[in-house]
Amino acid sequence: MLAVYKKEMRSYFTSIIGWLFLGFFLLFVGLYHYLYNMYYAYSNFAYALSGVYIFFILLVPMLTMRIMAEENKQKTDQLLFTSPISISKIILGKFLALISIFGIGILVICVYPLALSRYGEVNMKWSYAAIMGFFLLGAAYMSIGLFISSMTESQALAAVLTFITIIVTLFVDGIASILPTDDKTAWIFFAVVALVVTLITYLLMKNILVSSITAIVLEAALAVLYFVHPAFYDGLIVRVFGWFSVVARYDDFSSGILNISDVVYYLSVITLFVFLTIQSIKKRRWS
Amino acid sequence: MIEVKGLVKKYGDHLAVDNLNFSVDKGQVIGFLGPNGAGKSTTMNMITGYISATEGSVIINGHDVYDEPEEAKRCIGYLPELPPVYTDMTVKEYLYFVAELKGVEKKRREGMIKDIMKRIQIDDVSGRLIKYLSKGYRQRVGLAQAIVGYPEVLILDEPTVGLDPKQIIEIRDLIKDLAKEHTIILSSHILSEVSAVCDTVMIINKGKLIVSDKTENLSKHISGTDGLTLTIKGEKALVNEILKGIKEITKVTYKKSEEGTVSFTAYTEKGEDIREAIFYACANVKCPILSMSSSSMSLEDIFLEMTKDETSKKKKVKKVVTAKEEK
Repeated sequence: MLAVYKKEMRSYFTSIIGWLFLGFFLLFVGLYHYLYNMYYAYSNFAYALSGVYIFFILLVPMLTMRIMAEENKQKTDQLLFTSPISISKIILGKFLALISIFGIGILVICVYPLALSRYGEVNMKWSYAAIMGFFLLGAAYMSIGLFISSMTESQALAAVLTFITIIVTLFVDGIASILPTDDKTAWIFFAVVALVVTLITYLLMKNILVSSITAIVLEAALAVLYFVHPAFYDGLIVRVFGWFSVVARYDDFSSGILNISDVVYYLSVITLFVFLTIQSIKKRRWS
Repeated sequence: MIEVKGLVKKYGDHLAVDNLNFSVDKGQVIGFLGPNGAGKSTTMNMITGYISATEGSVIINGHDVYDEPEEAKRCIGYLPELPPVYTDMTVKEYLYFVAELKGVEKKRREGMIKDIMKRIQIDDVSGRLIKYLSKGYRQRVGLAQAIVGYPEVLILDEPTVGLDPKQIIEIRDLIKDLAKEHTIILSSHILSEVSAVCDTVMIINKGKLIVSDKTENLSKHISGTDGLTLTIKGEKALVNEILKGIKEITKVTYKKSEEGTVSFTAYTEKGEDIREAIFYACANVKCPILSMSSSSMSLEDIFLEMTKDETSKKKKVKKVVTAKEEK
C-alpha cells in the first residue's frame, strides 16, 4: 500500500498536476479569503470557503482523472494486479494519495483563521468546522472521481464524467425543490425506477427468471406500501434526491453546526465509492 | 511447480482458451507457441492472476492463484506483452518502486537492483526517464522488473517482439542465463526463438493445446518421412544403381548440381537410418560423398502442419496427447 501511495505522491509532484491542483486551489481560496475576510472584513472564514466549493467541479477531475484511467491505458495495471498485494490495498494507497494532496492544501488554509485572529475576534470553532466539512466534501468527491477513473481507459472521459457528476450533485437540491411531493406521483416514480433497475440487472445478468421475480416483488411491495401506508410516500422523491445532494450536508458545517450524521454521511459516501472501485476492478477481471 | 488444470476462458460466446492442461517442473523452460490470437497472452494473464479463469485452476508452488493470490503472485515475475513501465519515472526509480511493491526488504533493495541492472545491462541508462528510452531498452526494463524479487517463476510474453536482431540475440542469451535459476514460461510466434531457448515446446492454436513435447522430439509427431540430402561425385546412372541397392529408400528427388556430381534427397520411412549404408555403398564403387545432411522437419514445418487444419488434425492430436500421457 505504501509503495503505491509513495509512487502516486511522487508522480503528482514530478508532473505538473500536483502543483497545478495546489496552485489553483490556493488561488481560489485566497481570492475568496481576500474578498470576504479582507475586503468586506467579515471575521468568519466559513464565508470565504462557502464560495469556493463550486470549484471542485474543476479541481477534483484534475486530480482524479488519470489515477486509474492512465494505468488501464498504459497497461501498468498488469504490474499492479499481478504483484503480491491485494487490489484493496492498491486502491486505498491511491485514494490516500489523493487525500494527502488535498490535505496539503487544507493544511495551508488552516493557517488563514489564525492569521485573521491577529487582527480581530475570529470564531475559531466555526471556522475549523467549516474547514473540516470542506475537507470531507472534497474527499467524498475524490472517491467518486476515483471510481469513475477506474471505469475507463480515457483520462478525458473520466474528467468529463466526473465533471458532470459533480455538477449534478451541486444542482440536485434545486431540482428536488421543484419536484412534486404528493403520494401518487412518488409511487409511480419509484415503480418506474424499480422497473429500470431490474431491467439493468437483467442486461447485466441475462437471467430472465431472477429479474422478473425481483421486478414483480419490488412492484408488489411498492403497491402494498402505497395502499397500506401512503404517508411513506410523503415527499419521498425530494428526500431521496436529498441523499444525492453531497453539498447540502456541507451547509451545516458552513453555518457552524457540527453534526455527527453529516460526518457519517461523508464517510459513508467515501467508503461506498472506494468499495465500488475495488469491486468494479475485481468484477472486470472476472468477465 | 506450475500446474494448470482444465483452464477455460470465455469472452461471451468466444472461447479464448479451451480446457488447457499442463504442468511445468522446476528449472524447465517452456515455450508457448501459437499464431496470433491463439490464446497465449490470455493463458499467461490467467496464470499470473491478472484475469480470472472461467473454469479450471492454476497452482503455483502449491498455492492456488485464486484462493491464495498473494502467495502465488509472490512466486511469479511477469513481463506482459507491453512492458508495464511508468514513463515518467527514471529506470532506477521504477525498479525501486517495483521492489517495494513486491515487498522486497528495504536493506536488500539497493543490492538487488544494482545486480539486476548490471545483468540486464541497463545500468548505463539508470538515471534516464523511461519515456526517453528506445523500445529495446524499455523491453529490458520490463524484463528487469519481472526479475525483481528473484521470483522462482518467470512468465515472459513475447519478450523479443519489436527488437532488432542484435537485441533479440542479447535478450535470448539473457533468458538462457536466467533459466539456470528460474523456471520460465515464454511465449512467441517466432519459432527459431523457441527452439533456441526452450527445452519444451507447447503449441497452442485457437485456445487448444495441440502438442507438448521436448523441442528435439517435436518432429516425431509428424507422420511422414525423414530425408537425407546428399551430394555424390560420380555419374547419375551409377548413383542410381547404389540407391536401388538400399531397400529402405522410398523416394528420391534429384536437384540441380555441378558437372560430375549428383545432388538428391533420399526419403525413408520414419526412424530409418541409411547414412552408413550409403557410405559403404558409395565407398565400394569409389564414389566420394561430398556432403550429407539430414533434412528433418524444421519447427516451422511442424508448426504449420500442426496448425493448418483443425479437423484433419483432430485424430493426430489425440494420438499425441495419449502418447504424452503414457510417458
